[in-house]
Amino acid sequence: MSTHFTEDELTLYYYGEGRRRGRIARHLDECTACAAVYREIAGTLALVTPPEPPERGDQYGLEVWQRIRHQLPEQEAPGWLALVMPRTDRLVLAGALATLVLVAFVAGRIWPRAGSVASPPAASVTADASGTATTGNDVRHRILITAVADHLDRSERVLTDIMNAPSRGDISTEQRWADDLLTTSRLYRQDAVEAGESSIAGVLDDLERSLLEIVHSPSPISAADLDQIRRRIDAAALLFKVRVMSDELRQRESAPAPPTATQKTS
Amino acid sequence: MDATEAATVLDRARQGDGEAFRALVERHSRSAFRLAFRMTGNEQDAEDVVQESFLKAYRQLGRFESRANFGTWLYRIVANCSVDLMRAKQARHDQIRGDSLDEAVELPAVDLPGPERLAQSAEIETRVQSALDDLSALERAAFTLRHYEGRSIDEIGATLGLGTSAAKHSVFRAVKKLRAALAPLRSQES
Repeated sequence: MSTHFTEDELTLYYYGEGRRRGRIARHLDECTACAAVYREIAGTLALVTPPEPPERGDQYGLEVWQRIRHQLPEQEAPGWLALVMPRTDRLVLAGALATLVLVAFVAGRIWPRAGSVASPPAASVTADASGTATTGNDVRHRILITAVADHLDRSERVLTDIMNAPSRGDISTEQRWADDLLTTSRLYRQDAVEAGESSIAGVLDDLERSLLEIVHSPSPISAADLDQIRRRIDAAALLFKVRVMSDELRQRESAPAPPTATQKTS
Repeated sequence: MDATEAATVLDRARQGDGEAFRALVERHSRSAFRLAFRMTGNEQDAEDVVQESFLKAYRQLGRFESRANFGTWLYRIVANCSVDLMRAKQARHDQIRGDSLDEAVELPAVDLPGPERLAQSAEIETRVQSALDDLSALERAAFTLRHYEGRSIDEIGATLGLGTSAAKHSVFRAVKKLRAALAPLRSQES
């Protein structure tokens, strides 16, 4: 009979690793002592079954983001930059660049312009029924404005329901509603970011946080939990922001394209 | 999200674009949670690990090799954050244990309630959990990656920043301690 195998070798064999696997297999057929040790190892490890992680829904990533977004630290410089330039030098460089940008901006504002006539846009231009020039981008932008305004109106109703709900009780209807709005809100926020509408994206971001909280609250909800949701909505002035943004978007929606500065109220 | 799009998002995130990083968080949170839960065995700890891991990932994005896979990189961060958290917990509870097998807890034999298999199963679960809790942070991490995650010894070493030998011996020590701790259960079963 060949030499016995160690417990460690048998452990590796159990996990399908290690050298001499063929020899170990043959040895286990012949050696009752090693076979007994192997059975014990396998029996013990069979008792250790993987724990089933609690389910996390589709919105989990958003929840994590909402928890960390205000805690994001400063990014460390790439390895090569950290090596060639100490942190203080990097800050000095960043300051110098910022100053340069500021100077360029101020110079651009006060420098006399060669001509005041804007060059024609590269995108295709069409005329709508009122004779106003519009581009494909304008149309998409207007669709976004209308959709977000509707979305904000619906969200306002959910928030108002929550603010006026009895101090405890069933909020499952509001939760289902909030859950539907949450998915839509994320899509609109992404569109708003891409369209450069940072103020819309900001309001939608705040809105998502409250919608998430509503969706994940217990139902029936306790008076304390409901009060907490309400206080957060109040603290963020969310209802106010939603109403103001909705009004602003309605005005932009009804204004002839492209909107002028005087038609944008904030 | 296809590969090109993922690379673009990653590139933007590396330049400090919060929205791009948000997309990465939304994409990888669930898998990060699953690993963190398996590593720590506790839901709240897993949540803490997920948050800490993303904050760490954001801070270190500049060091991330853009050719590498973000998911793999994050996997390592989550595994190591789990080890850090388990170490901190063990230190708090004054449960840091030596590597010696002598220190493995010898749990007394259980009086299993005869044919009541459900109760027996719950008892096994409790014993296993207790035995896992008694492993050192590194042993538990190495064992989890090998036993639950199916990672090879080499991969465990790469994930935890250990040499192959150290990774292998962490697994061996964990298995030895578990055998000692769970022996009473096995004798009841046989």
